[in-house]
Amino acid sequence: MPSPPLARQAFLHGAIAILPLSVAVAPWGLLAGSMAIEANLSAWQGQGLSAIVFAGAAQLVAIGMLKGGANLFSILLTTLLLTSQHLLYGLSMRPVLSGLPTRWRLGLGFLLTDEFFALTSHHDQQQFNRWYALGVGLTFYVAWNLFTLAGIVLGQNIPHLDQLGLDFSIVATFVALIAPLVRNLPTVVCVAVSLFCSVLFSYWHWETALVAAGLLGMAAGFVCQKFSGGRL
Amino acid sequence: MIWLLIFAMGAVVFLNRYAFLEPRLPLRLSSNARQFLGFAVPGMLTAICGPIIFLPEHQLDLSPLNPYLLGSLVAIALVLLTRSVLLSMLASMLIFFLLRSWLA
Repeated sequence: MPSPPLARQAFLHGAIAILPLSVAVAPWGLLAGSMAIEANLSAWQGQGLSAIVFAGAAQLVAIGMLKGGANLFSILLTTLLLTSQHLLYGLSMRPVLSGLPTRWRLGLGFLLTDEFFALTSHHDQQQFNRWYALGVGLTFYVAWNLFTLAGIVLGQNIPHLDQLGLDFSIVATFVALIAPLVRNLPTVVCVAVSLFCSVLFSYWHWETALVAAGLLGMAAGFVCQKFSGGRL
Repeated sequence: MIWLLIFAMGAVVFLNRYAFLEPRLPLRLSSNARQFLGFAVPGMLTAICGPIIFLPEHQLDLSPLNPYLLGSLVAIALVLLTRSVLLSMLASMLIFFLLRSWLA
């Protein structure tokens, strides 16, 4: 257990590390807030989505489905399928997180987003610091909620915020995170298969498109690595 | 009804996130499983981007003038050249919005 000053330092390091991604999520957060208002949710409900659900893609899809008159069950099923990549993240972080005390597990579990995973998943048991992870997760949570609030305020004043292409921000962020990782053939194969399948499956309107494509890409990368026997 | 939906969605997402963090779940990861999960970041993040880039407004757009595609290529080039994630994100967003207004 680190002493309080060390804990504070690790927390700050985490908060600083996630800062660029927190800035970049601004347009996506604006979109989540303004879309909620456009779908006739109250400001509190729009904010509640970000505070309680805390999953951008699922929030946007749920709002779209609400507008289209979908029922509760189909929205929940879609949410389950759309956010099932988090099962993988949990599985992947199980070695470092499952041994923590309950309140840490629950807290960091709640904060386990794509961005959190991208920043902390490469840490092994020695490198992993719970305060660093908390700094990452909490900063991102606060940023997401502040940008949602801004979106709610703007959405009430500027119509059609959803047609500005704000969703590119998530692409810019993820592309900048992925590109430096693509250094060997198995990762190239993984990214190529995942990209092709995600577009194809989404074109077919599969609700499981993203997680199915991601899994196929991961499997392709894994098989490629096995065949090359670590020579690459 | 809306509040019920919000809390139920929160529960569903939390369940996905927390399920495998529960130590009472009897499960040990083999070295193969760990290697497989090592591809989770590139595999999943790519899958999230794919449809946003090539299916804007749910219409297939494979044109080389697709601003999402051009913006992504700029982001890749910038991050490989500068190694700065923040700079690449901000610059590629700026270029994306410029391209969008020119090509629209």
